[in-house]
Amino acid sequence: MNKSLSYVITVLSTVSMILTLSCGKLDVVGKDSARAFGELLQKAPGLVSEDTLGGGWSITAPDSGARFVWGAFGKMMIDIAPFAAAGLDTLKLADAGAFSGGTLVIGTALTLDAPPKTTPLASYEWIVKNNRDAIGYHAALNHYGISLGNGNMFEWAKDLNTNDKDIVFVLNPEPFINAGVDVTKIEGWAFAKVTVDDENGKPVQVDKILKPFDLK
Amino acid sequence: MTVTIPIGGMHCAACSARVEKAIGKLRGVDSASVNIATEKATVAFDPAAIRLSAIKEAIVGVGFVPLDASKETAGADKIRREREIKALRTKFAVAAAFGLPLLYIAMSPMIPWFTLPLPKALNMMRYPLTCGLVQLLLTIPVIIAGYRFYTVGFKNLATRSPNMDSLIAVGTSAAVLYSVYNLFRVAVLRDFKAAESFYFETAGVIIALILLGKTLEAISKGRTGEAIKKLMGLTPKTAIIIDGGEEKEIPVDDVMPGDIVVVKPGAKIPVDGTVTEGRSAVDESMLTGESLPVDKKNGDAVYGATINVNGLIRFKAEKVGAETALARIIKLVEDAQGSKAPIAQTADIVSGYFVPVVCLIALVTAVAWFAAISAGVATPTAGKSALEFSLMVFISVLVIACPCALGLATPTAIMVGTGKGAENGILIKGGEALETAHKIQTIVFDKTGTITEGKPEVTDIIPAPGVDEGYLLMITASAEKGSEHPLGQAIVRGAQSRGLELRGIENFSAITGMGIEANTGGIAVLAGNRRLMDERGVSLSALEADSDRLMSEGKTPMYAAFDGKAAGIVAVADVLKKSSRNAIERLHKMGIEVAMLTGDNKKTADAIAKQAGIDRVLAEVLPGDKSAEVKKLQEGGRMVAMVGDGINDAPALAQADIGIAIGSGTDVAIESADIVLMRSDLIDVPTAINLSKRTINNIKQNLFWAFGYNVLGIPIAAGALHLFGGPLLNPVFAAAAMSLSSVSVLTNALRLKRFKG
Repeated sequence: MNKSLSYVITVLSTVSMILTLSCGKLDVVGKDSARAFGELLQKAPGLVSEDTLGGGWSITAPDSGARFVWGAFGKMMIDIAPFAAAGLDTLKLADAGAFSGGTLVIGTALTLDAPPKTTPLASYEWIVKNNRDAIGYHAALNHYGISLGNGNMFEWAKDLNTNDKDIVFVLNPEPFINAGVDVTKIEGWAFAKVTVDDENGKPVQVDKILKPFDLK
Repeated sequence: MTVTIPIGGMHCAACSARVEKAIGKLRGVDSASVNIATEKATVAFDPAAIRLSAIKEAIVGVGFVPLDASKETAGADKIRREREIKALRTKFAVAAAFGLPLLYIAMSPMIPWFTLPLPKALNMMRYPLTCGLVQLLLTIPVIIAGYRFYTVGFKNLATRSPNMDSLIAVGTSAAVLYSVYNLFRVAVLRDFKAAESFYFETAGVIIALILLGKTLEAISKGRTGEAIKKLMGLTPKTAIIIDGGEEKEIPVDDVMPGDIVVVKPGAKIPVDGTVTEGRSAVDESMLTGESLPVDKKNGDAVYGATINVNGLIRFKAEKVGAETALARIIKLVEDAQGSKAPIAQTADIVSGYFVPVVCLIALVTAVAWFAAISAGVATPTAGKSALEFSLMVFISVLVIACPCALGLATPTAIMVGTGKGAENGILIKGGEALETAHKIQTIVFDKTGTITEGKPEVTDIIPAPGVDEGYLLMITASAEKGSEHPLGQAIVRGAQSRGLELRGIENFSAITGMGIEANTGGIAVLAGNRRLMDERGVSLSALEADSDRLMSEGKTPMYAAFDGKAAGIVAVADVLKKSSRNAIERLHKMGIEVAMLTGDNKKTADAIAKQAGIDRVLAEVLPGDKSAEVKKLQEGGRMVAMVGDGINDAPALAQADIGIAIGSGTDVAIESADIVLMRSDLIDVPTAINLSKRTINNIKQNLFWAFGYNVLGIPIAAGALHLFGGPLLNPVFAAAAMSLSSVSVLTNALRLKRFKG
């Protein structure tokens, strides 16, 4: 068994060394998410713009009903009108985000330092580098996603050519339900049960309000 | 010539079947029996036709290691087993140390009821490559810990004789290779969904669980052989002999026959011999089970390993080393434990075909599921592809079907059963005897020395008219001086105790089954039973009434005729052993018919039988006809056991389905018997049969569980429940069930240790 133990120690040392040396190279999801994000930006240049207010970049939904902003803060800016039509009492939604005119802004800080503003992709890569945990892979839809806190997300397809949902704005329905919204009747949004991985990687089925787009 | 070869590296019934087959087909080998529990092969071969080295080569040829039998002493065996257990423990510790984190990482996110914390870096969907590599990293040491499954398993597979190791090797390799392929898909093809198809933990946990099972199995196996270890530990290490007039302590192995050995009070007697000086009580319970110490004086036999209780004795060493009674008992028990019961044959046959059949079942069911799911006829479990589902089925069937429990079912019970018998002074010579004993319907007891004490005494002297009582006894006893028959010796003792001086004799001859004739003081003496008198034309009319009375009292009338005329009767009677009646009662309660076989006349025999509670009497049987009487009973369709002690009982003991010799009897009787009772206590006869029943029941339970486990386990693993909307058995649970089956069989066998008679 001494021989076996020496094998074990040798193998452990070797693999540990490989893991340590190639630490950055092991982040295949982070790296490939940037590739897919870059492809998304190239596919819909008209939807991408600089976010002058927050100092980052944004991608707007083709129907203009929602906008994802990435920079030091990750935000989702949502047109409140369809929600109001579905029964939203804005006073009850105060804790979920901030209102700016007819727009609800929800989000979270993504990085401590502001990312470089050279290109939209460079900003995204900065987030990958500095807050890798915010990026995930959604196996059920073959999407990458960036967490915007409180169950809200922005997702984009890993493979834009084959996926019929190139981008998806994802909202946690709970605050809206508490604010009187009939989540099944929000125009331009779909209410559905989806399987996602929680913080521990455990697949859980949750309710979400979704706005998916095929960018063609 | 028969040899016992210890064999290393056998893991399951398929291994032992393989070795048995390899040896058995060699030219010059008469028979080969390999016992997985003792890890020994017993080979009968013709030394002129084949050398032992060729047999050993055949063992090596099928992938196992013949060990040096001469080095396989009790100590060496113990050390080897301890080493094996230690090595298995270390391997299991390594496998558990890496397998548990592996299981945690892979399975904790799958638990639906609660959430277990996991480092973010090991989140499967965020860091699939890191997570996969860490799992691979944790799997490698587990595989190294279980490397023997692969080296032996694949080697056996290559030689088309797969064993249990092959099943584990193929099953876990399939899991690892499929996982490595999926790791490649994650790392190179950026197919992160493939991370959901890592099965490293399946391989890791299977190996860890099987190593746990093997460790428990090795520990339990060690416990099954405790009886023999106890016996082996009885011999003292040193002996004190008289050398040049002085006491000298030497190693017990150096004691030679003829040495005068000194045994002080409280010390163990080192070898067998005869007391030459001193007097003491000797505790022989370790050999006979008899709790009361036995008085020993000049001329009495003493046995190695017994304890000299109070006096100082000197004795002449006669039997040393392998010749001592203890060494012979150990050999007998070892041979019994190495033997196979007929009931084991079915298990052996099944085990031999089991592994290849299981490989086929695994392959066929996996392919069938793959085809059915691909064709849309069947649906896999949620989240599984056709390939993954089929792979799970393949691995589960291979792992759950390891025939370890099947192989252990019989030999472990026999080891514990025969060991327990030895502890109680009941030496069962083999698995066959153990199995047959419980089927016995009729037990035939020899009378003298078996049912009775075997020390008859003169009770009545009835002279014919005109003959003096003392004269009758003196002349008859003088003629009987040459006789070795217990009745003849009783008459001699009777005369001596009455102070009669015996005369010299001439022309002595024993007439088998009838009596003796001799000349003494010019008188032609004839002494014996009625048949002898009838044959020689001696009229007994004057003695008829007395003769009938004596016989009805259970006494044996020995007729004497001087110069062709009836001279009188010397009646001799033997007393029943204290335990005879109790033993016969117990046999009756067990539904066994009890018969008594004796050369005595019918009336005497009936009287004794009545006292003892015997059902059937076979009287006036000549010594040479004893076996024929047993055969007659067998021809009547009964399973017959014969209990006896004398040389003349040996043919009947051999003829009976089970021969039971009383330990105080002759070597020939002991050699001819299947069971030897070390105490001369008949109560051990029902105890032996009871032990046989308990052991066979235990074997049947073991076989039921082992067969039942596979009969139920394989269809479940093959997805039978899933066909009806139920779950698919996870390979990890298959491994746990497989290990549990072996451990449960061993635990059940160890229950026999609680046998109390």
